[in-house]
Amino acid sequence: MKMRKHINKRKATLSFLATALMIIWACVAMLPFVFMFCSSLKPGEEMLRKGLSLSIEPGVSSFSNYNALNTYRDGIYWQWYKSSVIIMVLQTVIGLFFGSMVGYGLAMYNFKGRNLIFTLVLVVMMIPFEILLLPLYRMLIRAKLVDNYFGVILPYLVPPFMIFFFRQYVLGLPKELLEAGRIDGCTDYGVFFRIMVPIMIPAFGAMTILSGMNSWNNLLWPMIVLSTNEKFTIPIGMGTTITPYGNAYDVLMPGAVMAVVPIIIIYLCAQKTFIAGLTAGSVKG
Amino acid sequence: MKKLLAVLLTLALMLGMCSALAEEEPIKLTLWTFQELHTQLYKEMEASWNANPDNPKIEIDMQVYPYDDMHSKLTLALQSGEGAPDIVDIEINQFANYLKGDIQLADINDIVEPIKDKLVMSRFNNYAKDGKYYGIDHHIGATIMFYNTEILEAAGINYQDIKTWDDYHEAGKVVLEKTGKPMCTWESADCWSIYPLVNQHGGDWLTPEGEVRMDEPVVVNTLAFMKSMLDDGTAVACPGGNHHSEEYYGAMGSGAFASVSMPFWYLNRFTDYMPDLSGKMKVAPMPLWPDGGHKSAQMGGTGTAVVKTSANVDIAKQWLAYATLSFEGCVKTWTILGFDPIMTEVYGAPEMKEPNKFFDYYGDDIFDMLKTVLDDIPDTCISEYFPTASDIVKSQMAYDLVIGGGDPETIAKNCAQELRDAIE
Amino acid sequence: MQQVSQRRPNRAAAFLTSRKVVPYVFVAPFVIYFLLIYLYPTVSTVMMSFQRIDGPTTSEWIGLKNYQKLFSRNFIQALETSTRYAIWDVIVLTIVPLLFAVLLHSGLVKGSAFFKSLFFIPALTSIIVAGIVFRLAFGTQDTAPVNVLMTALGGQPRQWLMFADSGNFVLIVMTLWRWMGVNIIYYLSGIQAIPNDLYEAAEIDGANPIQKFFKVTLPGIRPVLIYVITITVLGGFAMFTESVALWQQSNPGGIGRTIVGYLYQVGITKANMGMASAVGLTLLALVLVVNLIQLVLMGFFRKEDA
Repeated sequence: MKMRKHINKRKATLSFLATALMIIWACVAMLPFVFMFCSSLKPGEEMLRKGLSLSIEPGVSSFSNYNALNTYRDGIYWQWYKSSVIIMVLQTVIGLFFGSMVGYGLAMYNFKGRNLIFTLVLVVMMIPFEILLLPLYRMLIRAKLVDNYFGVILPYLVPPFMIFFFRQYVLGLPKELLEAGRIDGCTDYGVFFRIMVPIMIPAFGAMTILSGMNSWNNLLWPMIVLSTNEKFTIPIGMGTTITPYGNAYDVLMPGAVMAVVPIIIIYLCAQKTFIAGLTAGSVKG
Repeated sequence: MKKLLAVLLTLALMLGMCSALAEEEPIKLTLWTFQELHTQLYKEMEASWNANPDNPKIEIDMQVYPYDDMHSKLTLALQSGEGAPDIVDIEINQFANYLKGDIQLADINDIVEPIKDKLVMSRFNNYAKDGKYYGIDHHIGATIMFYNTEILEAAGINYQDIKTWDDYHEAGKVVLEKTGKPMCTWESADCWSIYPLVNQHGGDWLTPEGEVRMDEPVVVNTLAFMKSMLDDGTAVACPGGNHHSEEYYGAMGSGAFASVSMPFWYLNRFTDYMPDLSGKMKVAPMPLWPDGGHKSAQMGGTGTAVVKTSANVDIAKQWLAYATLSFEGCVKTWTILGFDPIMTEVYGAPEMKEPNKFFDYYGDDIFDMLKTVLDDIPDTCISEYFPTASDIVKSQMAYDLVIGGGDPETIAKNCAQELRDAIE
Repeated sequence: MQQVSQRRPNRAAAFLTSRKVVPYVFVAPFVIYFLLIYLYPTVSTVMMSFQRIDGPTTSEWIGLKNYQKLFSRNFIQALETSTRYAIWDVIVLTIVPLLFAVLLHSGLVKGSAFFKSLFFIPALTSIIVAGIVFRLAFGTQDTAPVNVLMTALGGQPRQWLMFADSGNFVLIVMTLWRWMGVNIIYYLSGIQAIPNDLYEAAEIDGANPIQKFFKVTLPGIRPVLIYVITITVLGGFAMFTESVALWQQSNPGGIGRTIVGYLYQVGITKANMGMASAVGLTLLALVLVVNLIQLVLMGFFRKEDA
């Protein structure tokens, strides 16, 4: 009886400490965002005057900067938004499909050339993208994909990092599932889509988040491909407010806030699905 | 009769075709810039060009890109020979990169040379190679002083009495003693402190032939002067490392420093980012060097160029000449952009005196002051290795002087060696 | 006729579902993609590294010259910067998120779902704005927030972003801030795949939580751990965006320039694609070697299914 009390007490202390640690990091994680939000409510010069200020002042703060997003260059910001969303969705859906397939194939089967292909995956993943720019750009021109969304997602159709992650993930799954599926009369593809994909949902969750984030923040390649200002993504558009001769903070701050908020909302909604998926994934345990 | 009719018909047809041709679609041009502000000038000049019936109609597709990436995109397009615009804004520090090897820009001598006498030609030499001009700048970028008169007055100093850099240093000592505030800030991670001072003093990084000048006595002396101000605290390291950092705007705007020397285009940094100093700031010519040199130095800029592979090189050049080299265009350079125009005759024009935010902020005598220095602005030598030199100054010379506190002669020598190595 | 057309799909289907062919169908997308998209640029880059390229039409073979000129002062400094960063990056970004992931999974933390989402927000925040925030927080003046904190704690204010070591520290803090949530998600996906009965078995054996971590959790997430370390090594050496966001145009003493930054400067800004290709391939070799060592140490090649 005493012993259990002691353990409970210790557990409570641990729980308190762990939660405290989470709260501290949550504050650190949120700080730049809160700053961004507070600054987005003030005129640009106010931010420079006060530096890193986390205050909202009545009289100075207002949502008028957000209106600037509607008026700045005829509301071009929302077109950037649209582009970003289209590219993110296309890139993530296609990438997940191919990435999971190849990663699964590399992990589940033993076949001739497997190691060669996996090595290629790793090498492609490690090539610094910047050195491929010129040849990729030349290909793009030949394929007539300049200023085209498909050109933007072209180098990310079968993302090596996803292949790598899915491969690692599937390695941890019991191989007997494949045999069991075959005995039930499924083809190997059936096994993949009906049995494995549901089990891999946590991995899909992680990769959706990563791919979405990569696409959402990607600057260099979309910038090279896209020419028309209206087709730009948010990072490129925001980049135009930064110049060596001064930055347009009035647009930058609300633009950056708006770029995050809807994603957070979607993420919070999707999280329920993820959690459901996570429990589904652990059923086999 | 039939023949005549046929002839008439043909004539009529031809006439019809001609008029149809004249009515045809406007010529389409593409323009890239990294400064959204510039498009405001371009749009006005496009409209007024099209308003003149003598001009062929044009339609300019203006695209604004992020600074670094626009230049990357341009490099890729020029390197692959496809995808480049007709007209492009190229920043001065990047320009020399496009004048290497097989030059992909069109020379603009035919539009510049006829009006040479009216222009500040040293601005064109920045964008020239082998006697050919490739870019037009929007401004002179004359370096001037911005004095915080509130601080100076508190120390009992009239900024107009400061004639030489020695006066400036002495005034700094008084300011520091009376108010506890430094006279100025030197950049530790950029070139806007060192380069204007060296250039005004008569020095430069390179000769037009590509010889390194970085370790000449004039450079060493300038660095030594800057160091002497750092040593007694009349100058301090610029917060944030350069005069474009948020930290500097905040400190300067709250009255932490008595002055700064920056190019003319810095006018709108004060009006936009440091509104609290309105009415307190005054502009003045740079102090002079006792041992010679010039009245000012031209710094920064953007060379607008026409791409050689454009399908409409001639029309692009004509419009560019109209937009940036006409009297009207140069006046708008001030009224829209707040820059010092490259055409000297516009400075007397009444349009230039119309009230605006700059006159409200600094007082009415901006151009009276500027006119006194326009006759003595040295060339800067923006040749092939200028970007490399500039990079060495930013990342090494400024840092070693302001943060490292090194000996000026050693710094100059090391940097010069660095540049020579890079050239080899 | 009819028979043939009926038979064909069957034969094709039989072919596609045969045990020998199935694995190749699964990996086919990558192979096709590699041949179509990556082969030409990669070969072209290798070729360019032996060339001098001036404009679209002029290129000249110069043998090993690009590689001989590689080790300039800037390159070596950039190499130092990237290596220093990569080392700390791997240490901090593998361990700290793992700790957080284990805690979040342990049930000790109340509202763990909430924290998981919250930690992920930095990854979505504009890196440009994050750069401004960190630049201001670690400002050069004594009144900058972190310096105020330092003074309050009895330390000395510093010019954080002006020196290589403290600058690297700020970069690591910023990277941790940005990537923590993502790495936590990786780890959690791995931890959640560990069957519960393994923990139960360990409990029956009388293992305490720390033993459980080392005996069950760590081996269980080894594939994911390998992935995270590999990706982090790569991310460390290829870091570019964070330093640009932090220092923007200025580069005090050259400490803000990483290898990829240098590559970008040489290749894109100065249009010396040949030299840039040489730099890029050297970086690739470096990352491959470091990762190879790491993978050997992790026992990646020991068992077939690491």
